Amino acid sequence: MARIVMEHINLTFRVCPNRVLTFKEFLLGKFLRKKEEDKEIKVHALRNINLEIPQGGRVGIIGHNGAGKSTMLKTLAGIYQPSAGTRIVEGKISSLFEITLGFEPECSGWQNIAFRSYLQGETPTTVAAKKQGIADFSELGSFLGMPVRYYSAGMMVRLAFSIATAVDPEILLIDEVLGAGDLAFLNKAKKRMRDMMDRAHLMVMVSHDLESVRSMCDRVLWMDHGTIRMEGPANQVIEAYQQSMSANVQAA
Amino acid sequence: MQAYISSIWGYRFFWYSLVENDLRQRYRGSILGLGWSFLQPLCMTVVLCIVFGGIFQQDYRFFGPFLLAGLAVWNLLSQSISQGCNCFFMGESYIRQFPVPMAIYPLRSILSLGFHFLVALGLVVVLSLFFQGWPGIVPILSLIPALVTLLIVTWSLACLFGIATVNFRDTRHLTEVALQILFYLTPVMYPPAALEGRRIAYLLKYNPFTPFLELIRDPLVFHRVPAVETLLAANALTLLVLLTAAYTLKVWERKIIFHL
Repeated sequence: MARIVMEHINLTFRVCPNRVLTFKEFLLGKFLRKKEEDKEIKVHALRNINLEIPQGGRVGIIGHNGAGKSTMLKTLAGIYQPSAGTRIVEGKISSLFEITLGFEPECSGWQNIAFRSYLQGETPTTVAAKKQGIADFSELGSFLGMPVRYYSAGMMVRLAFSIATAVDPEILLIDEVLGAGDLAFLNKAKKRMRDMMDRAHLMVMVSHDLESVRSMCDRVLWMDHGTIRMEGPANQVIEAYQQSMSANVQAA
Repeated sequence: MQAYISSIWGYRFFWYSLVENDLRQRYRGSILGLGWSFLQPLCMTVVLCIVFGGIFQQDYRFFGPFLLAGLAVWNLLSQSISQGCNCFFMGESYIRQFPVPMAIYPLRSILSLGFHFLVALGLVVVLSLFFQGWPGIVPILSLIPALVTLLIVTWSLACLFGIATVNFRDTRHLTEVALQILFYLTPVMYPPAALEGRRIAYLLKYNPFTPFLELIRDPLVFHRVPAVETLLAANALTLLVLLTAAYTLKVWERKIIFHL
């Protein structure tokens, strides 16, 4: 049983634009006059988000750059702790955020399969059983013996996606990454995700590729400045989003 | 608390394989491989033994194991601080993708240091057996709780300095300087007799590193169980560092990511 509930979620964090605090600033901060560009900026990344995704839900998140889509996904994953509000997640999460993340660049594809699988709660025995399946799905063949730092973005996506979905996660969170794969792999990945949804799992994906979102998701969230601007059936929300974008272009 | 620890245990294959990989990477492409782990402390000991053994007029049969044991513990403690500073940056790519307990990253750092420590310790045992004979079963057994203490204290130190560096990048450089100074204030190279009656002896005695050095040195070099004051001091310090680290981690666990 997979389910996600977010109630009144807020997320704020502070960013020092130029660099992080040093000891000098820590000790003398109150006496030093700060330059304008050194002042810390408070980012209110998510504002009062209320959301419920039931079992079998396939949700797409769309919106312009900086709208809070990825932050939302990372909060769902439990990587960002919300500043306020409740987050309830039932089910085992598997996530794919930035492609290069979570790879040990000096290690071979095979070794990275093991590392990532362990992170998803596998043991050496279960990894040994799944390894070949992961390798086959990725179609990377002999490249798996090579250190991952020689991989192209597309190859990394293949590997990361194959590992993330091999454990049959109950919740799959994907951020934009699939775009780096080639068309053949994209279709294969879509098919696998559909199979997963048929088994009543839950998926949330962030994408700028509206056609992908339309074909993969039944519900869409349109995010704007950290809030959910619109939520509803995929076609309806995507249409409204497209209209607003073309209205913006005309206005400009 | 218990849930946190069991979740660290749940990810054991992950951090274990990272440590294994860290050790492998270190010797990747080198001919001697693991041999360097033996050679590095051994060479250092030989050099120091010749120089300081001469100055302090020490017998190499005692001074060799004495130096090696001291260096091993000093390296373990000081490097768990200096490498602990980087532990969260090293794990950044995992931190940004998977919500695993943060304590895993300092653990990764100290376990590979611990490996080198155990190699050096093995050398001390061999040297000591060869030059001075069997230390007796009780002193040897006293090493077991000593090793547990060292594990806890290094893990906590790495954790604390890791979090400190995430907040103040200068920590790394400050500790570098501080450790350099501390090395000379720690009785790694000075035989106990050489300092008797001098004012500096107090500094060495109340140095927080000293009890940990004695935990290992007493059984292996002097063939005795560490004194009660040593045990008390080492355990009190460990508890203090552990509690500070646990509290700091509790506060910072989920905030670290915003500061990387």
